[in-house]
Amino acid sequence: MNWISFPYYFAITIILWAVGILVLLYSYKKEQFTKIAQIILALGWFTLIAFVVKLWMQLDRPPMRTLGETRLWYSAFIPLIGFITYGRWKYKWFLIYSFCMSGLFLTINYLNPETHSKTLMPALQSVWFIPHVLVYLFSYAVLSVSCIVALKGTYELYKGKLNLAHLRLADNLVYIGFSFLTLGLLFGALWAKEAWGHYWTWDPKEVWAFLTWMGYLIYIHYRHFHPNKSKQALYILSVAFIILLICWFGVNYLPVASNSVHTYTQ
Amino acid sequence: MEKHKQHNLWDKPWGYVESFIIGMGLMLAGFAIEASSGSALTLSIIFPYNLIILLGYCTLLFVAHKWFSHLQLIRWLTKVPAAISSISLVTFMVMIMGIVPQTHSDNYLINLLGFNHITTNWAFILILFVFLSNLGLVTIKRFLQFKWSNLGFILNHLGLFIALTAGMLGSGDLQRLTIQTQEEKPSWIAFDEDNNPVELPFAFVLNDFRLDEYPPKLALVDNESGELHFNDGKNLYLIEKGKDYVFGDYDIKVNDFLVTSGRIGDRYAFVNEFGAPPSALVQVKDQRDGSLVSGWISCGSFAKPPQSLKINEQLSLVMTIPEAEKFSSDITILTKDEQHIKTTLEVNKPYKHEGWKIYQYSYDDAFGKWSNTSVLELVKDPWLPYIYIGIFMMIAGAIYMFWIGNTKINTQSDELD
Repeated sequence: MNWISFPYYFAITIILWAVGILVLLYSYKKEQFTKIAQIILALGWFTLIAFVVKLWMQLDRPPMRTLGETRLWYSAFIPLIGFITYGRWKYKWFLIYSFCMSGLFLTINYLNPETHSKTLMPALQSVWFIPHVLVYLFSYAVLSVSCIVALKGTYELYKGKLNLAHLRLADNLVYIGFSFLTLGLLFGALWAKEAWGHYWTWDPKEVWAFLTWMGYLIYIHYRHFHPNKSKQALYILSVAFIILLICWFGVNYLPVASNSVHTYTQ
Repeated sequence: MEKHKQHNLWDKPWGYVESFIIGMGLMLAGFAIEASSGSALTLSIIFPYNLIILLGYCTLLFVAHKWFSHLQLIRWLTKVPAAISSISLVTFMVMIMGIVPQTHSDNYLINLLGFNHITTNWAFILILFVFLSNLGLVTIKRFLQFKWSNLGFILNHLGLFIALTAGMLGSGDLQRLTIQTQEEKPSWIAFDEDNNPVELPFAFVLNDFRLDEYPPKLALVDNESGELHFNDGKNLYLIEKGKDYVFGDYDIKVNDFLVTSGRIGDRYAFVNEFGAPPSALVQVKDQRDGSLVSGWISCGSFAKPPQSLKINEQLSLVMTIPEAEKFSSDITILTKDEQHIKTTLEVNKPYKHEGWKIYQYSYDDAFGKWSNTSVLELVKDPWLPYIYIGIFMMIAGAIYMFWIGNTKINTQSDELD
């Protein structure tokens, strides 16, 4: 099947990334290595993209339906976010994080080779499919980093020495993630109008996506007006991420799931 | 704002405690109305009343901002504690919706408090009213003192305000109808969501209904329970002639595949008739002992029975019913002035006619690709352009937010201005 060549692409990508990350770590000492690291990392990323393109062509549909396929996209996408964010905000550690995260998801796919179904139900065959899913995965990727920062901050607070720079970082990540969360939600609404005749139907997944959005909305407003109340802000950020996780994975297990148009497990 | 002196409850300005008391008080009052008078509330305010209410509401907010901002209530409504408490309480109400199924319930408490119809629940409406008023007032405030640095704020807040108010007040004018169309027979009676007939000013004739199917899939089922044996049915293979598949301990080879077929004795042959199902000749090899089983399988159809292949005492190989790849209807719209408009409707590709959006909705799934009825959905939403204005403002706001980030933090006071 189409995933048969995955181990080769996987091996090349992972090796290039491992080398790239080592060089990037070294560049903390010698700045001129940053460029070289970026080139090596980019080569690995292009290898992965080559696989995605090949898979897409063989499937005759966007490979974005099953969990394994969304994992593949998540891993293809997160390094790109890493590069864009690095270009905009100059967080080198974020570049490292994004490649590690991507490598982790690739490894999950390598260990769990799912033979992917080729079928795609008619409602999903739309120009909105790709932007909707990719924007959401981008957002989830960024917001998951903000949660890691929040956990680190909570630990620091517990130790009694919170580094305020971490909270600022969390703020920036939430702003980036939240803007994409908004785009994903609104793209979904525009698509729903074309597919189902209405832009908002309070489908369980929509409800939880809305709740996720509201959670980060509370954080943003709270931070904006109470910049000194770090503890509460960190708690809000952690809770918001829990809601996000319920939205991404948990909805299927809730009593409301039976009527959701977003359950595609079969 | 740090506390410098003792702040007693209801001292001015009202803070978080007061805000949550007000918000929760409203919510409890809403639940009390639900419990006492039942769920009488339906938001079907139709034109022009919804427009009048909207204009009245906006005027009221403007007047409140302009001439009554010295009142404690209005001051409170423009401040952060009111914003955060109302966002939190709206979140709480929506969370109930995310947990309790919004359908008929036999649970006494759910029925009493109206947990299964949150969108028309008084508690939700009241708390949403506070939320919107807060949003509206801060938007007016910023809008009147426009600065370019406020652009992102205005796009996000005004966009949300427009989308929410237009969506809620416009819902009374939203019409969703379904209509069954048949080949060679005009239909003009549609049905609304409560199954009331609605006569349309035009008629539909179905010229042709087409349904493309994916090939059927192979599956192993347990002979006793009838359940799919392999990985919850996630890893099913599409059947293709000449392909080899590995299913756990079994090697499966598809020697022949017929898209439409009929059974002749103990084998299948190509037949192209109404209701002829697909079939496949398969060979199964058990990797453990090398034993071979071979035979025909078919998923059957409304007209023909299915055929499975028993591999051993425990398992059988079956063919699943093919999934729809796409379906579409060639229709003609007959108008009162005797126009004939031909078009093709497909999922995700609606057609616009006289203010209606017409969607391919469903078909007679007992007959699948042999269905000669097609169900269309008609949607009329005159408020949609305003909702889209709100949505596109928020999209612009989100892009602005991504690019600018939060550069202004740490300089603000406790007030939303």
